[in-house]
Amino acid sequence: MNFQVRPILTALRRHKAGTMLIALQIALTLAIVCNALFIIHQRLGNLSASSGVDEANVFVIANMWADMGQSTSQIDAQVRADLIALRQLPAVGDATPASGYPLRGGGWDNFVTMTPDQVKPTTDSAVYTGDEHFIDTLGLNLVAGRNFRADEVMVMGTQEAVTPPTVIVSKALADRLFPDGNALGKSFYAMGTTPSTIVGIVDPLHRQGVDQWSNGYAGQSLIWPMRADDSRGVYYIVRARPGQLADAMREVPKALYAQSRMRIIDPKDGIQDYATIRHKVYDSDRGMAILMGIISVVLLAITAAGIVGLTSFWVGQRRKQIGVRRALGARQRDILAYFLTENFLISASGAVLGIVLGFAFNLWTVTHFAMDRMSLVYVGLGVLMLVLLGQAATLAPALRASRVSPVEATRSV
Amino acid sequence: MLKMTHLSKVYRTEVVETYALRDFNIDVKEGEFVAVTGPSGSGKTTFLTIAGLLETFTGGEYHLDGVEVSNLNDNARSKIRNEKIGFIFQAFNLIPDLNVFDNIEVPLRYRGMKAAERKQRIMDSLERVGLASRAKHYPAELSGGQQQRVAIARALAGSPRLLLADEPTGNLDTQMARGVMELLEEIHRDGATIVMVTHDPELAARAQRNVHIIDGQVVDLAEEPRFHAHAAAGNRE
Amino acid sequence: MFTYYLQLGLRSLRRNPALTALMVMAIGFGVAASMITYSVFRAVSGNPIPGKSAQLFTPQVDGWGPQQNLKGEPAEALGYIDAMALMRAHEAKRQTFLYPVQLSVMLGGSRDLPLNANGYAVTADFFSMFEVPFRYGGGWSAQDDDARASAVVISGKLNAKLFGGADSVGRTFNLGGHDYHVVGVTSQWNPRPRFYDLFSTNGFADEPDIYMVFSRALDLQMRSGGRNSCRGSLSYTTWQGYLQSNCVWITPWVELDSPAEVASYRRFLTNYAADQQHAGRFGWAANVRLRDVMQWLDYEHVVPPESRISLVVALGFFLICLVNTIGLLLAKFMRRSGEIGVRRALGATRREIYTQYLIEAATIGLAGGVLGLLLTAVGVSGVGILFRPEIAKLARLDVSLVGLTLVVAIIATVLAAFYPAWRAAHVQPAWQLKSS
Repeated sequence: MNFQVRPILTALRRHKAGTMLIALQIALTLAIVCNALFIIHQRLGNLSASSGVDEANVFVIANMWADMGQSTSQIDAQVRADLIALRQLPAVGDATPASGYPLRGGGWDNFVTMTPDQVKPTTDSAVYTGDEHFIDTLGLNLVAGRNFRADEVMVMGTQEAVTPPTVIVSKALADRLFPDGNALGKSFYAMGTTPSTIVGIVDPLHRQGVDQWSNGYAGQSLIWPMRADDSRGVYYIVRARPGQLADAMREVPKALYAQSRMRIIDPKDGIQDYATIRHKVYDSDRGMAILMGIISVVLLAITAAGIVGLTSFWVGQRRKQIGVRRALGARQRDILAYFLTENFLISASGAVLGIVLGFAFNLWTVTHFAMDRMSLVYVGLGVLMLVLLGQAATLAPALRASRVSPVEATRSV
Repeated sequence: MLKMTHLSKVYRTEVVETYALRDFNIDVKEGEFVAVTGPSGSGKTTFLTIAGLLETFTGGEYHLDGVEVSNLNDNARSKIRNEKIGFIFQAFNLIPDLNVFDNIEVPLRYRGMKAAERKQRIMDSLERVGLASRAKHYPAELSGGQQQRVAIARALAGSPRLLLADEPTGNLDTQMARGVMELLEEIHRDGATIVMVTHDPELAARAQRNVHIIDGQVVDLAEEPRFHAHAAAGNRE
Repeated sequence: MFTYYLQLGLRSLRRNPALTALMVMAIGFGVAASMITYSVFRAVSGNPIPGKSAQLFTPQVDGWGPQQNLKGEPAEALGYIDAMALMRAHEAKRQTFLYPVQLSVMLGGSRDLPLNANGYAVTADFFSMFEVPFRYGGGWSAQDDDARASAVVISGKLNAKLFGGADSVGRTFNLGGHDYHVVGVTSQWNPRPRFYDLFSTNGFADEPDIYMVFSRALDLQMRSGGRNSCRGSLSYTTWQGYLQSNCVWITPWVELDSPAEVASYRRFLTNYAADQQHAGRFGWAANVRLRDVMQWLDYEHVVPPESRISLVVALGFFLICLVNTIGLLLAKFMRRSGEIGVRRALGATRREIYTQYLIEAATIGLAGGVLGLLLTAVGVSGVGILFRPEIAKLARLDVSLVGLTLVVAIIATVLAAFYPAWRAAHVQPAWQLKSS
């Protein structure tokens, strides 16, 4: 097989418009597809991030108080009564009061400093509050230290900035603050005037939000032992006994209303299992991945169809020429090789432009949306895909060309 | 009707200049039936394309129906082709997508004629070539002779002053060729000016006058048509 | 002549059904992708208050200092101290201060469970500044602000729930344990993006149920139902302590009608911040901002990045579809160069050939547009999988989008056809129909 590159280039110069159109199409397709692949991979990565929660058995009730004039002690009494009632339910394994929960989609977070008068924060941490049942209820994995004791659990009223002396942190936060690995027993400040000492470490524990800005603080969370007796409301996180999630979700609101009717549990989204929570918080990530997927597939199909169309046209235009070549002794596979080589040359030049455009688009998303830089892998993958696609799309018309009979050479007109 | 004086046509490439026509002179009077003969590559077809305003020329003058055409722009040339010239091609050149009626309609459409008049003219010219019953047929459904008759009908429909024919019978068998030739003669009798390029000495003999082209120049041999007809025949490829 | 070209175009499209289908699909998919993403983009990037967006400004004062502020920018809301200072100074003709509140509505009978009501604590000018439309009654007066009145404006929706949609002005109901009297009922009013509260919302929340008197909410020590952002170490244990902290939660708005007023207010803000520095409350030079509505929307990145990225990607997709169409049209037109030559020989001018092929392209564009319209309709209803529900429901297939889809499809295809048609028009008048 002889790859006659120079004659092909000479021939292409006579079809400037068609050649440039295919090259341009390949370039644009490559630019979009490699970015789409990159975005898909990133977003799917977000989607599969572990929350640390035993998601199959845990659900959350958003409980608002109807009477907003209650004192902290009134609220605390109600919360305690609610918890006793919840923990007694047959389908419920455990329950905890909380000010937020992982994957909530945003919520409380505090700056962390090593000293009380440090102005520039060391880092940032999501803040969870709960009682001694928090770790058990969420099913968190305690990798070092101990759980809270019941006597450590404090009360935080609506207008109070309370800093408990003990804290359980996620491993990510522990490692960030104490890279040497001996975080247990050490203390830090989280926007309080007094320090909190690390008594336990859990791994992992996702933040409440999944926003782009918090990527630098991924997985950094702390749990303070307190009941957040806020006059506005409280979250109850509940763990169902294995296999009894549906039952528990039915029983819990009834039990709460039996305790007191002066509360609001939104009938629409007042009670959500973790499947729902995860689905909601990753809405836009999943949407982006799906959109990019659809666009890539349709794009590749259209580009392939375009190449088939234009190559067929060229083959049609050059039937006589092909006949002459055949008459002069070209074998079928020489003709096949000619068209495949031609397409490869066009694809390759398109790919060069495509790589530039692809990186330009990526740069735009980096500067405007703080997205990450695309690694070369995606570009390589995109180039490979498009070159193979081009060859595959050329194959059918090229095969037809290779079957042109040498007799065509003798036909006039 | 058609007068070329000292006309030349040069094809230039990067390296060479080729004279297709050189000091070319011809004068076709109104109502004449002229056959143009000559060996392959002598410039017959170039003459015809220039005569039909399909191509421009390099030097000299060309008066068509009294109008000097060398300075006309593309639009004006299109208009003259449309109104004054009828073309009859060797390969018929019917548009395969259009049926007989629509094919004949093409030049009339470009003339901006009203639908009623178009229809009248199309049916008249079809009548004249004897194909009135085939108006709805597509070219592929007709024999070669019929296709050429349609092409002639298309050329006639616009009532051109000048008919240009390029080997009108070249793609036809003898019997069909005779029919087409008789049709051309009939059209000539009705007053049309016809310039026909042909290889066929028999056809050339049926014209009023023969013009012989060799190496892009005219050798006018009206007095001795037969001799040159034989010479031309000897040059057939 | 137009109908003739149209006939020719349709005939030609029928002749190559595969090629035609390919082009129609390319245009259809391209225009649909662009229109779906555009419908969302249009909804999220619009001007929510077109008549006044250049007169409404939100002042910002840096109470956190260079080490704790937002990379040099002041906080996106005010703390209590600064809010009160601006309120008392009353330097603008109209001004309002607001924060989100979350309340329970007690229904009359004890049979029903309490309802949740979201809304805002606002000052009197809110309604006139933001041109809130009323079905019944109206806003309250500055005197009501001073008197810490228990007046409330409710949405038409809540009015329907509480009073069956009747004129409820003057009636009373229980909110979070206290009685309030209705002074006005709004008609449907939910500007999107919700420019006036981008501190707590992403701009696309459901319509608020209630608007209560700002000073009354403070009296009841109501914490913000939205965001609260603080710096440094926090030690407050009472409402008073919280108010004196550096936490920000109040959004201020002022109405300034002329450049002179804007300049004067800017001076006032700078002077205020400078005074705070002299008084020792701020340990840094004045750092203030005064952004109007559109600047504020832009600064707060109201358009979700997903919307912008997907619009750009969809436009790129459309561009590829057009490049594809150019190539296919070129192939299609040039394949007919023989026919073009004959037409030219028969007297067609270049312009006539050009027009013929542009009209043929326009019919492809129209067909592509119709396909695009169907796909857009499907896409707009399915846009929920791509965007958060509160944003997805903004995407709508209205008359203007239908028109735009068709027009864009046709114009884009005709543009794509310029070059192929130009090539076709420059085919030489031919002696021979090249029919291989």
